[in-house]
Amino acid sequence: MMDRSYKDLLKMKRLPHTWCPGCGIGAVLKNVAMALRELGWNYQNTVAVSGIGCSGRMAGYMNLDAVHTPHGRALTAAETIKTVRSDLNVIVLSGDGDLASIGGNHLLHTTRRNPDITVFCNDNEIYGLTGGQAGPTTPKGTKTITSPQGEPYQSLRLGRILTTQAPYFYARTTVFHLNHFKTCIQEALLWKGFSFIDIISDCIELNGRRLGFKTAHQMFKWFDERFHIVEGVRAHLNEDELGIAKAEVEEVPKAIEKVEVKPQVQIEELRLFTAEELQHFDGTNGRPIYVAYKGKIYDLSASPLFQGEKRMRCHIGGKDLTKDIDIAPHGEDSVFKFPVVGKLQVTTSLFE
Amino acid sequence: MKRLISGNEAIFQGTIRAGASYFAGYPITPSSEILQQASLHAEENPEFRFLQAEDEIAAAVATISASLAGAKAFTATSGPGFSLMQEALGWGHAVEAPCVFVNSMRVGPSTGMPTQPAQADLLQVKGGSAGDYYPIAFYPNSVEECFRLTVTAFNAAEESLSPVILLSDAFLSHLYEIVDLEGMEVKVIPRKREPLGRGQRLFTGIAHDKMGNTKTSHPEIYQEWLWELKDRHHQAAGQYPLYEYLPHQGSNILLIAFGITSRIISPLKKKFSIFRPIRIFPILEKELKEVTQSYRHIIVIEGNDGQYAGWVEWAIGRKVLRVPCLGGGFKLQWIRNQIEERLKGDGG
Repeated sequence: MMDRSYKDLLKMKRLPHTWCPGCGIGAVLKNVAMALRELGWNYQNTVAVSGIGCSGRMAGYMNLDAVHTPHGRALTAAETIKTVRSDLNVIVLSGDGDLASIGGNHLLHTTRRNPDITVFCNDNEIYGLTGGQAGPTTPKGTKTITSPQGEPYQSLRLGRILTTQAPYFYARTTVFHLNHFKTCIQEALLWKGFSFIDIISDCIELNGRRLGFKTAHQMFKWFDERFHIVEGVRAHLNEDELGIAKAEVEEVPKAIEKVEVKPQVQIEELRLFTAEELQHFDGTNGRPIYVAYKGKIYDLSASPLFQGEKRMRCHIGGKDLTKDIDIAPHGEDSVFKFPVVGKLQVTTSLFE
Repeated sequence: MKRLISGNEAIFQGTIRAGASYFAGYPITPSSEILQQASLHAEENPEFRFLQAEDEIAAAVATISASLAGAKAFTATSGPGFSLMQEALGWGHAVEAPCVFVNSMRVGPSTGMPTQPAQADLLQVKGGSAGDYYPIAFYPNSVEECFRLTVTAFNAAEESLSPVILLSDAFLSHLYEIVDLEGMEVKVIPRKREPLGRGQRLFTGIAHDKMGNTKTSHPEIYQEWLWELKDRHHQAAGQYPLYEYLPHQGSNILLIAFGITSRIISPLKKKFSIFRPIRIFPILEKELKEVTQSYRHIIVIEGNDGQYAGWVEWAIGRKVLRVPCLGGGFKLQWIRNQIEERLKGDGG
């Protein structure tokens, strides 16, 4: 028989809940309750904090002292409660719009201060409660009621934001991969410090149907196609990976490798380019990118910054960049890394 | 022990006397000294918690959350920061969290004149957040009163279960006077509500019933809640009907001023009667009615364009004359001339 003691953690009298049939939040709530139960966390030692939105209603269903904050302020409230009452376990139950958009500033600064709280982010990539507007995590190109032509901007990559400063704990899972989800919750709750679980969840009514899904189950299958689980602990997760990324201490930055200054190539042996010839090699139509620096021509095709682009910020391929590089913040070392392919024919101009 | 201290320091010492153990804030002129004092105090007293937040929004939310967690908490800011705190203030009234917000006023709107005193945040204090709520606000006019009223503000917060506002201004915050804080006797009301971690309560900004169940389409439950809240606030405020009245025999003119302005016009007491409200909100309706009825002219002198004068007219049901001291321009001679001009225009 299945253990149903987790129901002690839920206000069963308040059911049925307010969420739509097929919503992923129910799965989040139930699994959090099960994990808390297993750890023996209850109303005497645990406080739930939530923000605004569908997922913000989760705290109200927990059989704990719960604080329901203004929109976006859940992290600040949770951190403060932990500061004042370090004997309490504090969990945050909220959503992507609340935590990453209106609460974005608090997300940056609370992680910096690293309080010992656990955040469950029901990431359904949409503003559900208000009717299906595009959110910060809505993937680029997704049509919503506020992005009828498709969301024009790149979505916010929570995984990257939350793993910039160690110590950090960032887990990504979905409401479909339940076993993986449970493992993540357990680990996050036991992590000393700020832990964040990004739970990819479905909003079938206000997002899924517009995307062409008929049932929540179809969305779950879509999660299965989009994501795959990676085993072990990683430093970072790719956008299609489910798993745990954590680091206890800051990685010591590697010493800057000394750039080997290449032996002086006899400048006379090199091919001579005129300014017009050089201009031809600007990276367009598959041609290499050559730039001139102090009389020498360098092949910058391998530069990751120029990749597929004719222009890298203010530097343009096919030009003499001597003056540009002299005033640039990076210095000339960044050019010396690249192979020398020729020299520039010096033309004296009357107007120099 | 007698010491020379500033208004801001007196406010901070008042919070400590009242039993405050949490401060969250964000630097802003002219209240930054309170933030600095709090950080120093936290260093020496580990039980006192301090947070320099990322913005005033976080500072205000942290103050209210700390109060819910069981600490006596406070924050300090000025006009622009107070605007950012409005969201949390509304939340504080909804979740009934006792705490204190210090607002040291400067010239606005927006950044305005950061170092110049003003009294132009009154309407912001009264109703800057969404919905109906009934804030309590006090406004001292001396360093000693800064200390006393800070303790009073904490007591009123505990009694009304709401964020209480202590007003100051750029002048008063930086005013130095000799006071003996240790020798002052004050009454302190302790926290009554159980802190977090004792039950299954829900503290929510959503309309709710007494059990904390959200009720978003039940007007009768909402009305019951709001009337109870209003009643509690007025009862709590009713214990502090603070004002100062200096009648002048033979004068039929009453000057109304508070905070810094009341200090500046104090030499005029030789010629006019002066009424100084200390509890700014709720408006001293009964007291104003009683005091003003025997005067022919009532002149409200304040550091804004008639924010308090409007409330006085509402309370006493007749027109008053106004002398607005704007842009940090508080000069006795100028005010005297303005009073004469107003009286001429009104057939005085």
